[in-house]
Amino acid sequence: MTPFTRTRDGLVARLDRAEVDVLGLLCDQLEQLLDADAEDAGGDPVLARLLPPGHRGDPEVAADYRSLTEGALREGKADDLAVVRATLPVGGGDLQLDTDQARAWLRSTNDLRLALGTRLDITEDTEPPAEVTSDEEQQLAVYYWLTAVQGSLVDAVTAAGRGRR
Amino acid sequence: MAGPLAPTRTPETTTEVVSELDRPWVTIVWNDPVNLMTYVTFVLQELFGYDEQTATTLMLQVHEEGRAIVSSGPRERMEHDTSRLHAYGLWASYQRDS
Repeated sequence: MTPFTRTRDGLVARLDRAEVDVLGLLCDQLEQLLDADAEDAGGDPVLARLLPPGHRGDPEVAADYRSLTEGALREGKADDLAVVRATLPVGGGDLQLDTDQARAWLRSTNDLRLALGTRLDITEDTEPPAEVTSDEEQQLAVYYWLTAVQGSLVDAVTAAGRGRR
Repeated sequence: MAGPLAPTRTPETTTEVVSELDRPWVTIVWNDPVNLMTYVTFVLQELFGYDEQTATTLMLQVHEEGRAIVSSGPRERMEHDTSRLHAYGLWASYQRDS
């Protein structure tokens, strides 16, 4: 990946084919998880992190919150993933995002990092893998790659915001 | 104005009743090992209109103290704020101010 830069056509980064394929696969997996019935996925820590309780001490308030908001939250996340999928340069190439698409990408890459980070038990002390031999190191490498993608996009969006003022 | 025949109420009692009803609700963002500091700052600016310095101060409070109150008001609004933060993947909840 080349980092995002701001151009006249929006925010642009370059992704190679393997990166596009990995992102497509991760989007599929997250979509399946979000489609899963809450009861089927009951207790799944990733789903619990993506759709957290609204209240920490009062189960009744938390249940109210869930019934009010969970449907819209799931739909929003699915819509964001659809934007990512529609803008992915198939086979590799320039990824070009307008303001709204950039926000969908920010939310989706964050959800993907939350999902991977929860599966991998990421803590503030976790370090990128020194070498990639095991499956877990492979996933950790993907996590840090996503961190770089999202970080570069945040920087580009924030810089664009400053430029407007 | 309370005259001599007005029922006596201790100020303490009055304060307690009022505070239970009027005590606002708050939305709290909790620390999280995944969310990037730059992203949290961006989201707080985006959702609440905070300037960069205010958003950065709140983000640092989350990072260093484990949590920060990012908005306060009626329960319905805090529900809404929490759901907007959840849409962006921040770890948030709402509760009555303590």
